[in-house]
Amino acid sequence: MIDSAPDEGGAGTYGPFAYLAAPNAALYRRVMRGLMREKERFTVHVRAEQVYAALLRDGGDPVTEEAVAEALERLAQPSWGNVLAFPDSSRVTAVEDFYRRRMLYQMSRPGEAAERALAAYDAALGSRGALQSVALEDIVALLTRLRDLTVAPGGEPDLAVVHQTLRSLRERFSELAENAVAFMGSIQRTLDLHDADVEAFLAYKEQLIDYLERFINDLLVRGAAIADLLAAVTPTTVERLATIAAEREARDAAPGEAALVRTEARETWLRQWSGLSEWFVSTPGRESEAKLLRARARAAIPALLAVVRSLHERSGGRTDRTQDFITLARWFATLPDDGDRHRLWRTAFGLTPVRHLSVTAETRARWEEGVLGNATAWADAPAVQISPQLRRTGSYERRGKPARVADRSKARALLAERARREAEQTAAARRRILTGGPKPLSAFGVLDPEAFRLFLALLGDALAALGPTGDTAAVHTSDGALTVTLTRTPGARLAVISTPDGELVGPDHLVEIGSAADGAMDGAP
Amino acid sequence: MSVLDLGSRITDTLAEHDVDGRVRALRALLLRPVLRAQADGELFRLARRHADWLREWCQRETGWRLVVEPQTVRLFMSAIADGPTSVAIAERQPARARKGDPPFTRRRYVLLCLTLAVLERSDPQIALGRLAEELVLVATLPGLESVEFTLGNREERSDLVAAIRLLLDHGVLARVAGDEESYAAGSGDALYDVDRRVLAAMLSTAHSPGLVAAALGPAPRIDKIEAALHAPPTAYTEDETNRQLRHAVSRRLLLEPVVYYDDLPADERAYLVSQRVGLTRRLGEATGLVPELRAEGIALVDPDDQLTDRRMPEQGTDGHATLLLAEHLAANGAVELTALRRLAKRLAKDHAAYWRRSTREPGAENAIVADALDRLVGLGLVRVDRGDAETVVHPLPALARFAVTRPTVHEGRRR
Repeated sequence: MIDSAPDEGGAGTYGPFAYLAAPNAALYRRVMRGLMREKERFTVHVRAEQVYAALLRDGGDPVTEEAVAEALERLAQPSWGNVLAFPDSSRVTAVEDFYRRRMLYQMSRPGEAAERALAAYDAALGSRGALQSVALEDIVALLTRLRDLTVAPGGEPDLAVVHQTLRSLRERFSELAENAVAFMGSIQRTLDLHDADVEAFLAYKEQLIDYLERFINDLLVRGAAIADLLAAVTPTTVERLATIAAEREARDAAPGEAALVRTEARETWLRQWSGLSEWFVSTPGRESEAKLLRARARAAIPALLAVVRSLHERSGGRTDRTQDFITLARWFATLPDDGDRHRLWRTAFGLTPVRHLSVTAETRARWEEGVLGNATAWADAPAVQISPQLRRTGSYERRGKPARVADRSKARALLAERARREAEQTAAARRRILTGGPKPLSAFGVLDPEAFRLFLALLGDALAALGPTGDTAAVHTSDGALTVTLTRTPGARLAVISTPDGELVGPDHLVEIGSAADGAMDGAP
Repeated sequence: MSVLDLGSRITDTLAEHDVDGRVRALRALLLRPVLRAQADGELFRLARRHADWLREWCQRETGWRLVVEPQTVRLFMSAIADGPTSVAIAERQPARARKGDPPFTRRRYVLLCLTLAVLERSDPQIALGRLAEELVLVATLPGLESVEFTLGNREERSDLVAAIRLLLDHGVLARVAGDEESYAAGSGDALYDVDRRVLAAMLSTAHSPGLVAAALGPAPRIDKIEAALHAPPTAYTEDETNRQLRHAVSRRLLLEPVVYYDDLPADERAYLVSQRVGLTRRLGEATGLVPELRAEGIALVDPDDQLTDRRMPEQGTDGHATLLLAEHLAANGAVELTALRRLAKRLAKDHAAYWRRSTREPGAENAIVADALDRLVGLGLVRVDRGDAETVVHPLPALARFAVTRPTVHEGRRR
């Protein structure tokens, strides 16, 4: 158990990672992190109680001192070998400490390597990434310097400075690009509601939105500046910069390889430069990365807000509709009979059409005739008139199916027919009362009822227009088809117009009834 | 005619046109509470044009919300079934996949709700096969033990398809490819777009079911559920109390074929009796329904015979049988079920020339009477009492509408 020698047998078998698959992996991990923190403070040997104290402060679930001691022991077992254990021979001041087996622990080298690897793994996966406004600022500064160096009047620029600037530029830029990728990825993950940590998200969203807005602005302003600066560097200057950088890098190369290294370095620099300019400068055929990034960052804001809204709805209990539907499903499943279920359907969804009895025009007329009060019982009111055909056969038509449709079209045809006949009658009546020039009332003689009604209406309008004092008046019918001119005849006798229903007697007038539009009389109005 | 006269005439005509448009829009919504731009074209545009008026009217008269969105108009109707006739009517308004399909069963309802739950979290598109797989998982949730759903057989798949069809019909889903028929047969699949806006407007309750569930316990009774889902806010003033009474009775009058005074709670009855003329006139003017005010209750009846999912009288064997049995009940009062069955058997013989052939098979009269009673109860016209020895069918007052009138009148009126 007390194996103080480093476990060499574990090498190559990744023993230090084995605890990850063990039942208490989470605790082991915390212990290792605790040890790592002690190591960062340059503590070489650690006691179990120190680790325990560290675990009390790390924000995780509470653990017992025994569990920590046991975990350390397990981590020290040869097949894992994360930790080295030494017996502690220092003085004690309490009896129970004396009886307790005391050990000192130290991280083994493989254990430390494993821990660092895991920390890097966590960092890479957990990182939200960040869009760097500062990086943009730096790029602008570096590019400006580069431009000043290359176009500086008076001789060659300082090659070392140029190289330095180029390298900084490359470094800054690759950081920016990497971060942008990580950032967009993490936004996408945040937007995925299925496993969003609600509280963390709500706390984080304000800052995130502010941050996005600031970044979009920066990208807009500085991106344009960068694009301008890049455009100012001519292709020949780019070539020259690449050559300078390549020259300096080739200087360190082994003898004989210098030429090869120089070519390769030069090509790499040229490629990276074009990458940089593609990032910031759009061409007609291709959007720049910066522009795409801006678009995505901008699109992220409304998407974030939508997530916020739905989270609020959910936490406010207003509409977790999934839960609502599942609750309804449970009720539908537990209600005892179909009638209850139909009732639940109606009441919860409100999609059921209304249901009303019908009434026929004849029945309504009979209700009117019957003078029914509110106190009339249903039994005393006239019943609904039901077509005898329907009563006898169960359908409105004697034969066959298409009863209802046919019924409607028939009624419609009937109406159309009636309308046509009425129109014809009116037209005919109009034709009969046309005078074809001024004509005294007394000359009309006999008129049939249809024509007379029309005539009387016209006469009424004309007399009203004439008034008690006027001599002559002209009026049009409302549809403008007829014109009536009425002229008072001084000292007129009484005129008589006979109709089958009686006689119209009145002072004679001169009347002219004309068609306003020629030919309009022939068809229906 | 003077210009002024003509002007006022045009104004009148336009106003008339407007009134007509509102009536048509309101009627359309009562028959179909979700109107969609794509499916309902002209009626949708009409409802949008009169949205303000309709919203205001519904809120004032019934307390129902009308939500108008660019692609949908939804009237959130609701009513609480109260009193024996009202409950009997509500129990006979089942969901159906399509017109003429059989009513939903327990499994269909459960699948419908679970489908909605799954869609709520799904992507904008979903395939029927994938949806079904998720349903199988959700169907194992506690509380759903009584419903078996494993996708194992055609019957289960058909139940799912029924739920899907209902959603297609209401526009929650729109079919992109494939069809349900081949899925039910086990050979194909279908792909749908999910319309989130319609999905979000499916439920029409004042309170969220998820929230009230905790207070109701594990297996609540339907009347408890109904009351909890639609519990009105506390009324502090007399105005508010009156408004709630008005809303309650107006909802019943608009939704149910007949409202009997006996069926109403005392306060609603008192309110309706004192307000009936004005109230029914307002409802009638807005909907084109005609109030039939009688001593026993009120029916808003439809002269156009459109505002209903169940016609009376109706053509066809079942409709005809219903009419004849109704006349018999109206003339003779309460009748025992067995007597009605005997009558149905005789009627089947008498109308052999018009009724479908299967009605003359032995035992067919049971189905005929059952269907007819279902219709009559669903229209609030009869009550069925299941006694110890014999089931008795009692006519309700409004059945007298279908009493046979003197034949001379019949013959004289019709040509």
